[in-house]
Amino acid sequence: MAHRPFDPRDFEYRDYRQEWRSLWERFRQWVTSASWVIILLFVGIYALSGFYIVGPSEVGLVKRFGKFVRTSDPGFHYRLPYPIESVVVVNVRQPRTEEIGFRSVPGLPSAQFPEEREEALMLTGDGNIIQVEVVVQYDVKEPERFVFNLSDPERIVDQAAKAAIREKVALRTVDQALTTERDIIAEETRETLQKLLDTYQAGIRVINVRLQEVTPPTAEVNRAFDDVNSALQDKERKINDAQRYSNDLLPRAQGEAQQILNVAEAYKQSRILQAQGDVARFLSILERAQLGRDVTELRLYLEALETVLPKLNKVIITQGAAGVLGILNLDESLKKKEGER
Amino acid sequence: MRAVISVIVVVVVVLVLYNLVTYTVDETQQAVVVQLGEIVEVRREPGLYFKTPFLQNVIYLEDRILSYDIQPREVITSDKKRVTIDNYALWRISDAKQFVETMGGSLVRAQSRLDDVVYSNLRDVLAKQTLEDIIKREQMTEVTRLTQEQVRQFGMEIIDVRIKRADLPAATAEAVYNRMISERQQIAARYRAEGDQEAQRIRSQAEREKEIILAEARKRAQELMGEGDAQALEIYANAYNRDIAFYRFWRTLESYKTTLREGDTVVLSTDSEYLRFLERLSEKQ
Repeated sequence: MAHRPFDPRDFEYRDYRQEWRSLWERFRQWVTSASWVIILLFVGIYALSGFYIVGPSEVGLVKRFGKFVRTSDPGFHYRLPYPIESVVVVNVRQPRTEEIGFRSVPGLPSAQFPEEREEALMLTGDGNIIQVEVVVQYDVKEPERFVFNLSDPERIVDQAAKAAIREKVALRTVDQALTTERDIIAEETRETLQKLLDTYQAGIRVINVRLQEVTPPTAEVNRAFDDVNSALQDKERKINDAQRYSNDLLPRAQGEAQQILNVAEAYKQSRILQAQGDVARFLSILERAQLGRDVTELRLYLEALETVLPKLNKVIITQGAAGVLGILNLDESLKKKEGER
Repeated sequence: MRAVISVIVVVVVVLVLYNLVTYTVDETQQAVVVQLGEIVEVRREPGLYFKTPFLQNVIYLEDRILSYDIQPREVITSDKKRVTIDNYALWRISDAKQFVETMGGSLVRAQSRLDDVVYSNLRDVLAKQTLEDIIKREQMTEVTRLTQEQVRQFGMEIIDVRIKRADLPAATAEAVYNRMISERQQIAARYRAEGDQEAQRIRSQAEREKEIILAEARKRAQELMGEGDAQALEIYANAYNRDIAFYRFWRTLESYKTTLREGDTVVLSTDSEYLRFLERLSEKQ
């Protein structure tokens, strides 16, 4: 707007008070209606704050002025807004875990499981020490007790579990705890823990107790235990070796025995057959001899000499030369013969 | 407008009155109402209660089971062994009035008192036990009972006192480890010796059986050979007995064939039956 000099004609008479009044009236009406809107908005928001959601594995516990009045199942629910009613939602299906003797630390690339040596070392009944790692899984059986009865459920489970496992390990020897009775210890621990928690009215159900690892307390002791196993293996191996030796030796001995028997049997049979053969020959000659005794004997005699004499060195002494025998160097002549041959 | 203001005023007044005149006790709590330093009301049940504003004061207390990890302490057993016992105690406030009066409602004070009481009971009870008894048998019911008696006056109720850990001092633990190692070494040595023993047994037994088998075979062999010889002799005897003279003659001749070998020297006399004729011939010449 362009500026121009003051000119009284520009001013008409106007009832400013009247105008103010009507303006104020309109403002008041606006504020009033706006306030109602705001109040209603607040009331609405306040009322809506009573809605809550219970997840699929959860249970809601509704308290009115601090006093428990009802439980609500999974779904969308309404309670009266603060301070009249409030709700505590508790997960009852998803198992909770408590670890003794180690911690699982989720991480990448793989989770870590650092030992908690102080927790893990336990005394056995025979005065030895072993290292035990336990996982306790539990869930909420009675949410009302779980929430309203215990100030720190995790800690109570942890402490009771430690007491229970220690008690059960203490009833075993180190060998039992390490080998045969592991499952029994776990089961008994579960029972004892459940009993303890029941006396505490904890509303907790112990699903299972697992002994993850039961090992000798130090690497050195562990080596000694391993050596016992390898000694056992050694024992087996030695026995097997001996068994193999035995299995090899005895059949051989049987074979050898059989051989000895066969040789003997062969000897026996050959002796008999030899005798039978000899006898048969003798008998057939005897039979012939009986036909003409003298002739046969003479013929046999001459035949024998014919067979024998040609191969022999012969010194023939005639009756006339009988005296020569004394000077005949028999030795020399024999040697000469030997030399010729 | 007036309506709006009155609504707001009513809300404010209600809120102020709610805070001043009422108090709620939660499921997890109990409360005592203190009026001029004096406890006039104890509320164990949860719910909404009224009080006199300004004059009365509400102290809220835990109504849940509290767990307290008692400081580990060393005790000496009756067999003079030292062992560190780590306990936990579960307790609750059973008498809020007494608890506030004696402990000022402070959990910290209550728990440090618990520490002392449990330790002294533990020491007394465990000092009468051997280490083995402490480890093997739960000794804590007595401790729980004694502790209960001593803290009841503070409005406390002991639910359980238990040994969470029982540890040997480091030096003793080291000795235990060494003993475990030597025990294992013994067992290992025994297994190995047993292996040797068993192997030796099996081997020697096998050798024994072998010897027996062979000896039996040899015995049987001798028998068989004897049978053979005997039968042969019998056969010979039966045949030769028919004509002993002829046998003697014939057999002697046979014997010459084998006994007189090539190259042997015989001195023959022309007196002999065989060479008789040789002499006669020379005479004729």
